[in-house]
Amino acid sequence: MTGLFHFANLVRAGIRDNQLLWMLVAGFALFPLFTHFADLPFWNDVAMRIMLLGVAAMGLNLVLGYGGMVSFGHAAFIGIGAYCVGISQFFGLSNGLFHILLSIGVCGALGLVIGYLALRTTGIYFIMITLAFAQMLFFLFVSLEQFGGDDGMSIDRADFLIIDLYEPLRLYFLIWVALALVALLLMFIVRSRFGVTLRAIKSNESRIEAMGLVPLHFKITSYVISAMICGLAGTLFASWQEYVSPDIMHWTRSGELMIIIILGGIGTLAGPLLGAIVFLLLEEFLPVALGAVAPAYAENWMILFGPLLIMVVLFGRGGLVGLLDKAIFSRIFRRRMAVK
Amino acid sequence: MTLTLILEQIFNGLQAGVTLFLVAAGLTLILGIMDFVFLAHGAQVMIGAYAAAAITQATGNFFVGLGLAIPVTFASGYLLELLIIRHLYQRDHMEQVLATFGLILFFNEAIRIGFGPAALYSDLPESISGFVEILPETPYPAYRLGVIAIGLICALAIHLFVSKTRIGAMVRAGANNPEMTAALGINIKILFRLIFATGACLAGVAGMMLGPLTSVQPGMGEPLLILSLVVIIIGGIGSVRGAFIAAIIVGLVDTLGRVFLPSILRLFFEQATADGAGPALASMLVYILMAVVLIFRPTGLFPAKG
Repeated sequence: MTGLFHFANLVRAGIRDNQLLWMLVAGFALFPLFTHFADLPFWNDVAMRIMLLGVAAMGLNLVLGYGGMVSFGHAAFIGIGAYCVGISQFFGLSNGLFHILLSIGVCGALGLVIGYLALRTTGIYFIMITLAFAQMLFFLFVSLEQFGGDDGMSIDRADFLIIDLYEPLRLYFLIWVALALVALLLMFIVRSRFGVTLRAIKSNESRIEAMGLVPLHFKITSYVISAMICGLAGTLFASWQEYVSPDIMHWTRSGELMIIIILGGIGTLAGPLLGAIVFLLLEEFLPVALGAVAPAYAENWMILFGPLLIMVVLFGRGGLVGLLDKAIFSRIFRRRMAVK
Repeated sequence: MTLTLILEQIFNGLQAGVTLFLVAAGLTLILGIMDFVFLAHGAQVMIGAYAAAAITQATGNFFVGLGLAIPVTFASGYLLELLIIRHLYQRDHMEQVLATFGLILFFNEAIRIGFGPAALYSDLPESISGFVEILPETPYPAYRLGVIAIGLICALAIHLFVSKTRIGAMVRAGANNPEMTAALGINIKILFRLIFATGACLAGVAGMMLGPLTSVQPGMGEPLLILSLVVIIIGGIGSVRGAFIAAIIVGLVDTLGRVFLPSILRLFFEQATADGAGPALASMLVYILMAVVLIFRPTGLFPAKG
């Protein structure tokens, strides 16, 4: 009985989740119009950052939310993607499409190696071994003096085939296209046989094994895909920031991605993007709000942000998607349940 | 590279190792035995260091600072469990990560507001700032030697407490099967609260002892948190013995790597490259060690269960 109920829930959640995702993606497409007429060009920059972190979080969510593999090292792939741009430019290769293909290829290969080694462990050991690989790469780039070491290297917004990315709005829509493509890809993956198997492995691995499938293959494949998505986000991140340093792959960024996913709603399509929006808007607005009440403490906004995260855990189960769910949809669905 | 230098660095490594063990022991109790992902454990180190530094400054006596900071960290751990942590035991690991990450942000910012963003430095009193000759003509700072001694005593005490005492047996039983232990008439809630406070207190002791050796500043606990997570993973989650051995190994590898790797690299590269890359590669060593251990022994060196 409960199983059926859960299944029905899942189907409904899937549909709503999907709609929410596309509403958000469409919102980002229209956002520059708003900033143009309201004359707030700064907010385009914020929106780009939200989309970049959103893409990375969506990539991580494939393994974390759908596959149940808590990777604490995905910032490494963002960093590798960003360094693919920096190092290519160092050697005079400035084609943006080449950067994207290179970083997807490198991150895929690296994801395959790290995934293969890390997936020998489970649970907390998996969390820590992914962190270990990320830290190794972090310190590797700190030690590479040739590429700036600790100080990092600056990046030229490349000529992306025929488009010149110095015009910020072009970069905005390049990032938007990446967001939309990743959203589309994830929607297909989650609904495909592969995605269903991945979720089944998350809930009971030995049953899937008993069915004659090899769970490891599915896990590694999803790990590689998510590494590639994070690599793509990193490549665009480097162009956006016009700068790359090992800081981009610091372990706190892996933590940040996890926070964004949990905040938004783990294992949902819209969750990571919603989490990124809320996370970065809080980062923008909390200092302002705190500054209005106690001007001397405006820069200490984390004193509010920390307890806010705790409140989300204590009172809002299932992240923001879950909360929205309760607030908006519960009445409608109670009626539907009654009809059934 | 004389024998004196090597010996001195081995002692420094031991000192780093036992300090790391105190942090990791608390985390072993909380993460290994109570199965709670507590990322704010590093903040407890910071609270201990600040409590000791602040009380030392107020009273002018280093030992009073150390002595009073112990009950302060115990109380902070106890209150934290009472107010927030106990509501989170039943949640899944990801939610625990989110909530305790929030705690880190809160504590770091609260300390920044209370004490300012700059680092505090506390000087050692004259009575313990001298040197001891560990071998003829090999002086070593007495304070660091004291830290090693206190760390070893704490390690022995924790080991005896967990494996030999009645309360230790209750702790192990509670970790194994909380419902059954509660059914035997043991108040598991109070037990867990006391374990939690003890773990926080151990981290605080590590922070206090580190105070005069490093800079006391907001966010000082996070690097230690990551390293002590590495330690309990290498040692095997939930094993106090494993945590001890792994802490010593990690302390030695980290310290010796930092000192000797640049000179080893100098044999192969030019000096500038070697000096630049050495420290960063030394930091990699610990993680390479952990990855290798996990690849060959996926549950650590001394797994506690199974």
